[in-house]
Amino acid sequence: MSVPIKIVESNDPMADPWRVAIVRPDSRPSARATEDRFVMTFPHLIVREVILFQLVLTVLSLAAIFFDAPLLGIANPLETPNPAKAPWYFLGLQELLHYFPPVVAGVLMPTLAVIALVVIPYARINLVAGPLWANASAKKAIALGAAVALVALLFGAFACWPIVVPTLALGIAMFATRGWERATSVRRLLWEVTLPEWIMTWFVIIATLLTVIGTYFRGPGWSWVWPWENAPRG
Amino acid sequence: MRVSLASRVRGSAVYRSIVRHGTTATNRNRSLVVFENLFLHVHPVKVREKTLRFTHTFWLGGITLACAFILFVGGIPLMFYYHPSVPQAYRDMKELQYVVDNGVFLRNLHRWAAHAMVLVAVLHMLRVFYHRAYRPPRQFNWVIGVLLLLATLLLSYTGYLLPWDQLSLWGVSVGTSMVKEAPFIGERIRFYLLGGNVVSENALLRFYVLHCVVLPVALLLLVSVHVWRVRKDGGVQGPAGAERKNEP
Amino acid sequence: MPDEESRDGETESISRRDVVVRLGVGACALAAAGSAAVTLDFLEPKVLFEPQTTFVAGAPLDFADGTVRFNREQKAYVIGTAGGVYALSAVCTHLGCITRFRSEQRMIACPCHGSQFDLEGNVVHGPAPRSLPWLEVSENASGSLVVETRVIVPQGKLFRV
Repeated sequence: MSVPIKIVESNDPMADPWRVAIVRPDSRPSARATEDRFVMTFPHLIVREVILFQLVLTVLSLAAIFFDAPLLGIANPLETPNPAKAPWYFLGLQELLHYFPPVVAGVLMPTLAVIALVVIPYARINLVAGPLWANASAKKAIALGAAVALVALLFGAFACWPIVVPTLALGIAMFATRGWERATSVRRLLWEVTLPEWIMTWFVIIATLLTVIGTYFRGPGWSWVWPWENAPRG
Repeated sequence: MRVSLASRVRGSAVYRSIVRHGTTATNRNRSLVVFENLFLHVHPVKVREKTLRFTHTFWLGGITLACAFILFVGGIPLMFYYHPSVPQAYRDMKELQYVVDNGVFLRNLHRWAAHAMVLVAVLHMLRVFYHRAYRPPRQFNWVIGVLLLLATLLLSYTGYLLPWDQLSLWGVSVGTSMVKEAPFIGERIRFYLLGGNVVSENALLRFYVLHCVVLPVALLLLVSVHVWRVRKDGGVQGPAGAERKNEP
Repeated sequence: MPDEESRDGETESISRRDVVVRLGVGACALAAAGSAAVTLDFLEPKVLFEPQTTFVAGAPLDFADGTVRFNREQKAYVIGTAGGVYALSAVCTHLGCITRFRSEQRMIACPCHGSQFDLEGNVVHGPAPRSLPWLEVSENASGSLVVETRVIVPQGKLFRV
């Protein structure tokens, strides 16, 4: 693109022929060269969509035939079942409630999580991210180590081990990849992981762990139970 | 040459007034199938071949949409046997399980499709994240996706109350107690949600309306915008290739 | 012709069309805000069909020192001591589950997340943020004890019998 182009937008609705914009100099626009091959949507994409739908329906129907949805006794406002558990996608949150006051675990943390998600595509760190140790410096290593330690200490202060343990484990993993720039296959792939990806991985691991604990490892009074001791949950 | 019944039907004036494309295998007809159909024409007439590969997106968005479709279509028949009142709601659940033909299948399908949709929606979000497919110009579509995830969770949660069993009542009691903890507006929001101070028949009715009308409409609108924007942004974005790094 | 409006010595040009358009948009905004307010008000329940919140606990003589009675429907404990009678809410202050009285340990426990309270309502263990509220105890005309579960009194306020 050596010659700068100038776009003149038209604002005269009565012009004939109706113009949207004039591009000067008047050279033909070139389509971005791409090696992508195009195929007709029908049948190629449509057929795949139909098959996908049939597969999903089949799998879910089989589940519906062989596994019954639970139905306990009629709702009784005078009797709280022990334990009273939320649906599985909220059990991680309910487990958090065990460590933090309701305003933190029930309102603050979910709100922060949603805000963090919404902000992802607008945060510069996500758009220009390169591998974590691409511009390795001592300062960066110290900052990262301090951040990991801070998070671990903060959650450790509340005895929230399901968060502390993965934080430390991932912290160790992050530092382990530091020297793997020249390595091959798996190590090289791990070296290429960007900081936002490490953070998201941390979040996914913690959410999964909290949910699993809330589902299988919590019994009456929200006390710790081993899943093999516990009766099948509803 | 003998003219078959099928081709005579297809050649008739009535048929040709409804179906506007021919059946011969030409690219023009293939284009018309997509182009002239209200539901299909959200697709472009041609797609990039590489987006058809399984590993491009693992079809996760499509699976989520399939689950949503099953939930919509399966949920409506359930409404024919369900009264959102106390204690009738629970009796209706028993009726669906033991009396209505295929009632237990339909209810199970609805429940498992709901769980599946939440799970696959999250997987879809993670796939988009790790492929960095939220980059410009797709940023706002990601935000719409987050809203869709919230709508899905709310749909699941409002539906959870409807069977009116112990799981429903106490699951919702605990959840709405958490809402109460929000500073300033928490108590107010809880009062509006429940239509009162406790989880009772008012709450059941409100959750029913949210679950069957308000949230499905919101989901439908958001999904439409979401899919439309995928189209406008150039199609589904798979793993970032060399040429897509740091696009402005 | 653009209208000219002088403000603080500056000449700001605003056309009649702009004024009319802004008035129109403003009117629409006002109508929208009004509709939203009316709808919100519509959604607020004005009459609640929830159960009675006052109950008769019994005769004062039934509550000798050390008596703990649990009223399931009203979710309240009525407790007798040497100095008088008081009532505790049985609703856990954590997330609203109904607690249970453990007579052997003389304490109140919640099944949901393991909170424990002593007989004065103080949190002994667990995630509950506040102590159990004390409810108003009074006497009716026929001399029976009456508990009003909607009225909270300061901790330690006994109803002397």
